[in-house]
Amino acid sequence: MEKLESIIRLIQDNKGAPSRAPIAAETRFREDLGFDSFDLAEFTVHVEDAFGVDVFEGGVVETVGEVKKKLKI
Amino acid sequence: MTGKILMRDGDSVLTYPELLERVNAAQSYYPALQTGSLVEFVSNLVVALARGGDVVLLDSDLSADEVAGLGISGRNEARKIEGAPFADIGAVLEAVKKSPSKISIFTSGTTGLPKKVEHTVASLAAHVRVSENYSGHVWGFCYSPTHMAGMQVLFQILFNRNAAVNLFRKSKQAVYESIDKYGITHISATPTFYRLVLPEKAAHPSVRRITLGGEKSDKALYGALLEVFPSAKINNIYASTEGGTLLASGGEYFKIPDGEEGRIIVDENNELLVHKSLLGESDSFILDGDFYRTGDLVEWIGEGKREFRFLGRKSSLVNVGGYKVNLEEVEDALRSMPEVADALAFGQKNSVLGNILCADIKLKEGAQADVARIRNFLADKLQPFKIPRKIRFVVSMESTATGKIKRL
Repeated sequence: MEKLESIIRLIQDNKGAPSRAPIAAETRFREDLGFDSFDLAEFTVHVEDAFGVDVFEGGVVETVGEVKKKLKI
Repeated sequence: MTGKILMRDGDSVLTYPELLERVNAAQSYYPALQTGSLVEFVSNLVVALARGGDVVLLDSDLSADEVAGLGISGRNEARKIEGAPFADIGAVLEAVKKSPSKISIFTSGTTGLPKKVEHTVASLAAHVRVSENYSGHVWGFCYSPTHMAGMQVLFQILFNRNAAVNLFRKSKQAVYESIDKYGITHISATPTFYRLVLPEKAAHPSVRRITLGGEKSDKALYGALLEVFPSAKINNIYASTEGGTLLASGGEYFKIPDGEEGRIIVDENNELLVHKSLLGESDSFILDGDFYRTGDLVEWIGEGKREFRFLGRKSSLVNVGGYKVNLEEVEDALRSMPEVADALAFGQKNSVLGNILCADIKLKEGAQADVARIRNFLADKLQPFKIPRKIRFVVSMESTATGKIKRL
């Protein structure tokens, strides 16, 4: 989870919207984190680099919990 | 004021009677309007076209540098117009159909500079179909209105007096809520738009027609869409800023229409070429004989050379979520940074956007810059979709024999 959180923080920092608001399994990428499709794409690249899994393959994931499930972490 | 709705965008609504009132009340309009409000954009456009005023379509996220680079003066400055009042909305729409106005659209060119293409309502709406059968359609509006596809959908909506709900850049949840709440029947969007609203457990039967365009799509996507929209027919279109809608198909394969065999051709390198008679007016087209090189690579299906499918773009353009990015333009912007010695931009396959924009950067000796610094620098120069989302710092770059960086 720490690794996943650090990727989310990195994307928030990169888009000039740093935040340290808590991230939970039910946190939604679009509504809660304000990620657009470009942010989501960037997120998938970093997650794939770190875990070797393309979490968006087979459709969009909406929450942090869904990503954890796909990564089995 | 009540009346038949033309456009909904969040809380903001534009009705046909309001549009008539706005056109009749207008004493000026904005020839080069840059706005994030779809309602403002549409009203200004209709005022301009009904009164014969020329317009330049500017993306809302263009930076000041980019606008200046396009040679546009008078951004968001009003120009006076006049004319007799229109009796009803029908008269306004007739005037729009016959409008002599020039509509300028920008597209990323193959030369590294965006190029201006001039259209008219007649050229943009050439494939718009108007009939009683199309009345009552409710559109999900999923394109930027300043681009070719957005304009075409907008004219389809206006001329049939349909209603539309803005879904462009809305969340998955908001998209389905709008579809159900407003009974959306027609959606035209890029494959990236559809990929971002999948998977979806519920079926949404109000949607009768799904159109895909702007990027390469695939069979798996059609299958997934048919599950979510069980009442829908799927239509795939090929359009370009230069020519408007050129081809349509019911699936992945396109057929060259009868009578256009000699005007839409494929060269020996599998690039699609379009005859100049099918294009809009522009000084910046670089024609190869009588043909325009689209930069799209295709593959013939079967022996007859009548059907083909799209393979992708030639290397200097990358399609990122339906936006065409000119890699040379991105590299030029990167090289204009004082810390950067050299840069290579490229696309990498991505499950969200089709391709994600990446850059390898070699810094000057002793120079320091991090990803945040590079992004901030580019944000003042380029539209957000042209900013690389994966940046790597490298110590050396491979060059080709001509001294150009090797594009892989």
